[in-house]
Amino acid sequence: MNAKQRQLASRRGFMQKLVGGAAVTSAVVAVPALTTATSAAKEKKPRNKHYGMLIDTRKCIGCHSCSVACKAEFDVPLGFTRSWVEYTEKGNYPNVSRHFLPRLCNHCRHPQCVDVCPTGATYKRKQDGIVVVDTGLCIGCKYCIQACPYDARFLNPVTGFADKCDFCIHRVSKGLDPACVNSCVGGARIFGDISDPDSEISRQLATNPVTVLRPGKGTEPNVYYIAADHSSEHENKRGWYDVRVTTHRREKKRR
Amino acid sequence: MHEVNWGIHVILYLFLAGLGAGAVVVSGSVLLRKGGFGSSRFAVARWGALIGPIPAMLGTFLLVFELGQPFRALNLFKVINLSPMSIGSWFLVLFIFFSLLYALTFLPRSAGPGDRLARMRRTLAWICVPSGIGVAIYTGILLGAMPARPFWNSPILAGLFLLSAVSSGVAVILLMGVFFRRKSTDPAVRDDYHNSAYLLTATDAIILGGELVIIFLFLLFAQLTIGDVRYAVAEILPGGQLAMPFWVLVVGFGVFIPFVIEIIEIRPRLLSGGVFRSRMAVEVVVPILILIGGFTLRYVVVIAGQISASAAL
Repeated sequence: MNAKQRQLASRRGFMQKLVGGAAVTSAVVAVPALTTATSAAKEKKPRNKHYGMLIDTRKCIGCHSCSVACKAEFDVPLGFTRSWVEYTEKGNYPNVSRHFLPRLCNHCRHPQCVDVCPTGATYKRKQDGIVVVDTGLCIGCKYCIQACPYDARFLNPVTGFADKCDFCIHRVSKGLDPACVNSCVGGARIFGDISDPDSEISRQLATNPVTVLRPGKGTEPNVYYIAADHSSEHENKRGWYDVRVTTHRREKKRR
Repeated sequence: MHEVNWGIHVILYLFLAGLGAGAVVVSGSVLLRKGGFGSSRFAVARWGALIGPIPAMLGTFLLVFELGQPFRALNLFKVINLSPMSIGSWFLVLFIFFSLLYALTFLPRSAGPGDRLARMRRTLAWICVPSGIGVAIYTGILLGAMPARPFWNSPILAGLFLLSAVSSGVAVILLMGVFFRRKSTDPAVRDDYHNSAYLLTATDAIILGGELVIIFLFLLFAQLTIGDVRYAVAEILPGGQLAMPFWVLVVGFGVFIPFVIEIIEIRPRLLSGGVFRSRMAVEVVVPILILIGGFTLRYVVVIAGQISASAAL
């Protein structure tokens, strides 16, 4: 985290304290008689969030700034990606098109990687729905890498542990957007709390036709797409038109 | 090309752990069995018990060092959860510990039926058989647990791995017999020897028959479905990248040919009350074919699961 971010974060913290203090003061002033009600409100746990992302592929220009921002944020080793952009080119000349598909961990509602992890190193956080890897427990067995239908995980060659997108947990917990969202030049990514019906992402999800990747796997992803092209190279077998997927990863083929 | 995250170490582990577990399971069940085959049972139990823990430990060693950080593997034993790998590692530790103790009871030269270790041997056999079955079967569950890997995602894979493990266990006990017991000049020992060889050969024939049934069901149901599983299984069907090793080494050499030879061998005693005389050539060739088939089965399954993928995004 650089100096500017730290400054931002602390300023935000100050504002939160200020607002919180004001709320408590007004509550005490307004309803001094209802002490039981206020103490019950105090004991109430903070509501669990559930973070998600909506990617409007119509606004994506395939510039890879999300991939680069992610690389820079986490110092992801050469040849590996937590966040990447796939190009899908299809059709026969002159009827051709190219679509961009930004990819990252889907932070699924039913994450298979969590089910198979033998040490409990990877788990879905109760408070915000982010699927994380605890490097203190991970043994590098690669079972989760096998289990992910989205190929979102890899074995970090520097640390030897399983690695993947964590929705920039260090930024998000301080109220910032993930690095890929922050750097998106087209504003194609909306990040937020899906469980809050008033959040920007919830409103967009409610008012747009959205899809998720590989819904048939039953994982229930929390990364949604608007106008994503789901074409795959498998369709070449029909011989009607050509489909070429460029993953821009070490894994040349999409899993 | 798809990334192959689980390579030769894992393939060898699946084979060796299955082999070791299979040998101990056969040894334990033969020891606990009542009736028939007299003292010939003890020799079978002895060789199975003595050989079993070695491949199991060797495979585990390979697996732990494949991690790159061997001591991290201890994290597996901080928790127990429903991951097949978690349950499998507990089974593996139990199995290695008790199968070593079990092997020790056979170590004295004077070891024989009804000696002072007999009670302990039987108790340990009662522990080793279920834990050995656990080790043999969990490897198939481990692979089968993931919808993301359509080739593996079949409940019948665990059954196939279990039968293949027991069959390799029988094969390795037969091979040990050729090396260590065949040369005896004592006629009683020789009779015993042929008796135990019959027991093993007949058992193996049944297991190989079961393997053929499971392979048939696996392929049949993959063909009857549509979508991911069907595309994935095309890797081992004619025209697929792994068709040759699968059909020639696994099905042909590993299961079908040994099955036919064994049926021909046991037929006179089984059906018409004839005498079973085990032939050396058969005793050497059949187990070696079974072991090659067992290894290639793990190889084909582990690789095919990783080079095939879901079709639609």
